[in-house]
Amino acid sequence: MTVNKELIEKIRRKIVSEKGDLINRIYYEEGAGLLIEVSRGNLREIAYYVHEILDTYLRTVAGVDERPIKGVFSAYYVFGLDGYGLNIIVVTHMPPEDPKLPSITDIVPSADWYELEMYDLLGIRFSNRKLYRFVLPEDWPEGVYPLRKDTPYNIRPKPVKSQKQVLSGPRIPVGPYHPALHEPEYFELYVEGERVVDVEYNGFHVHRGIEKLGESRFTYQQVPFLAERICGICGFVHSVCYTQAVESAAKIEVPERALFIRSILLEVERLHSHLLWIGVACHLLGYDAGFMHAWRIREKTMILAELLTGSRKTYGINLVGGVKKDINNDKINATMKTIEWVENEFKKLVEVITSIPQIVKRAKGTGILPRSDARKLSVVGPVARASGLKRDVRKDYPYAAYKYVSFKVPVYSEGDNLARLLVRVDEVFESINIIRQLLDQLPQGPIMSEEIEIPENAIGVSSVEAPRGEDIHFVITGKDNKLYRWRVRAPTYQNIPALKVMLKDAPLADAPLTIASIDPCFSCTDRIQVVDLSTGKRRTISFKELQRYNICPRCGL
Amino acid sequence: MNKMKPLKLLDIARKTGVVTIRYPDKPPLITSEFRGRIVIDASKCIGCGACVNICPSNALTIKETYDKRIINYFIGRCIYCGSCADVCPVKAITITKDFELATENIKDLNNKVVHYKVVCCRCGSERHAPENMIKFVIRRVPVAETYAHMATNCKKRKFVEGMLHGRGMLYVEAK
Repeated sequence: MTVNKELIEKIRRKIVSEKGDLINRIYYEEGAGLLIEVSRGNLREIAYYVHEILDTYLRTVAGVDERPIKGVFSAYYVFGLDGYGLNIIVVTHMPPEDPKLPSITDIVPSADWYELEMYDLLGIRFSNRKLYRFVLPEDWPEGVYPLRKDTPYNIRPKPVKSQKQVLSGPRIPVGPYHPALHEPEYFELYVEGERVVDVEYNGFHVHRGIEKLGESRFTYQQVPFLAERICGICGFVHSVCYTQAVESAAKIEVPERALFIRSILLEVERLHSHLLWIGVACHLLGYDAGFMHAWRIREKTMILAELLTGSRKTYGINLVGGVKKDINNDKINATMKTIEWVENEFKKLVEVITSIPQIVKRAKGTGILPRSDARKLSVVGPVARASGLKRDVRKDYPYAAYKYVSFKVPVYSEGDNLARLLVRVDEVFESINIIRQLLDQLPQGPIMSEEIEIPENAIGVSSVEAPRGEDIHFVITGKDNKLYRWRVRAPTYQNIPALKVMLKDAPLADAPLTIASIDPCFSCTDRIQVVDLSTGKRRTISFKELQRYNICPRCGL
Repeated sequence: MNKMKPLKLLDIARKTGVVTIRYPDKPPLITSEFRGRIVIDASKCIGCGACVNICPSNALTIKETYDKRIINYFIGRCIYCGSCADVCPVKAITITKDFELATENIKDLNNKVVHYKVVCCRCGSERHAPENMIKFVIRRVPVAETYAHMATNCKKRKFVEGMLHGRGMLYVEAK
């Protein structure tokens, strides 16, 4: 990250002059950002100041059990200063015997999930808000907090009886682990007739404890392979994000050629992800011919990824300090040929898709997310750009080789499903453009840095623009060649709360497309429960039934 | 005219033709760079365990017994990253293009390389390292030939005896 030193000093002085009496300590750390240490009592005021007056958005929150090193629990609130490429990190410590914080959800609505997650995994309590079981399963015992350092990573506590009330009578459990579909997530839509009035989300069925694994069992150079398995579509994004975070914490100089190769692969990944999404969107709207042709084009990008890395997905070539596999001239030529073919074919396909009145009519004006809500909920990626927020990590926080290329950030102001579709269509062409520029300028040199030394207790924050939005990793380095804390925040985490706004007062038939329009990282909303408010009846609609509604959850296959 | 635009897809489809490859009958679509399972050449392997150290998913494990050192490659855990092939000092590991590895018998997924340890040339009973490893050491450091076949304890004993015979420094016990 290259941030202007004078600018940091200016912002630092501004904060000190306006809120200096509330701050314990303020300092700049390269690789992380401007850190502001505040006491618990002043957290709300500083959060309000940073979020509203400085006009930032909440990027991630990391709760850390720092008892072994500092004797306290800590919470790191990472705010992003749009357009300056600077993170403002508000740090607050809690004594170990009373880990409690004031809630900031009324000031920063997007902090909601982070607070619930900290409550579940670290046992930090929040005042002035409702706390409930969120990430952990219902039969997990009270008082066992997985992310605390004294909890071993392989702990298997005895399940306790679930507190949740279950109706009597015979039950047939179908889902959330649905046999036919991909990933378990669960939405409850409250409807009045055909109109959606409220949405409840019940997720984290596939919480795999990857952060804990990365902190306890894996070494620095093994975590990239684990990070790659966080997501099946944008795996390389996570591995790059992790390696960048460690590199910025340890101030490792990465060779330029490695940065270029990373950028090229990130764009190849974006190509295939957007083509996948456009295909699925067509399928959802009942246009299966478009789905098949989008995937026909996508297949070429998958083969290209395999040629460049050795694997269609989970490329496995990224390490802290560089990459493992080089690109030679033959591969450059093959890549140029493929992206030219993709560009021509996709141009033809887009012309057809956007000319079909049924598709345009169903996407236009549905699932609207106004700009003000988008800002308040800190949404990211194509969802933010379709709502008029020009937010792109590649421009705002330049990483890898993006500073060497010029590209446009497509922004639409409508905020509807069509806008989100068009943002992705435009981005496909931009990606092709970026890959061309990168291949032209590919510098010579090594692909792995020689010296890799990682100090203890260094903080690193890094973000990568995934196809779905901004992915951000927060690391604290530790001893024994292992991480102390690794916080992963995937883009869907920020975007799901926005669905509440999008779905409200919309017809039920538009719900699947709207849910899919944020390109949720779970490949499928496996089932939707419909509660009819006028009769109070609750029934769960199965996959087949949904198809009868002429809608089907995003599954693609 | 605009209403006819969606029909353009027919033209695209006609020009493209059939793209599906009848895979099990026809060869799979893999490129020259594809990484499948690994094969360890037992005659080259020296049993150093570098691959075991680097393996991110613990697909490669090492087991030490009195007279054997066994390196086990369990395909079920392998993520095909190829890190082991990169670190192997004698290039005993090759990455193949095999990926159709489904089996009914889990034993098929275990590939073992068994190294028998050499008997010490001095005491004739203790075993310390595989033959290939000793050869590798001697090739790298020719002077090691004089002691490479000796077990660790024998080496220590020889060193102490050498001291006693005045070859080297005298060891005086601190009071």
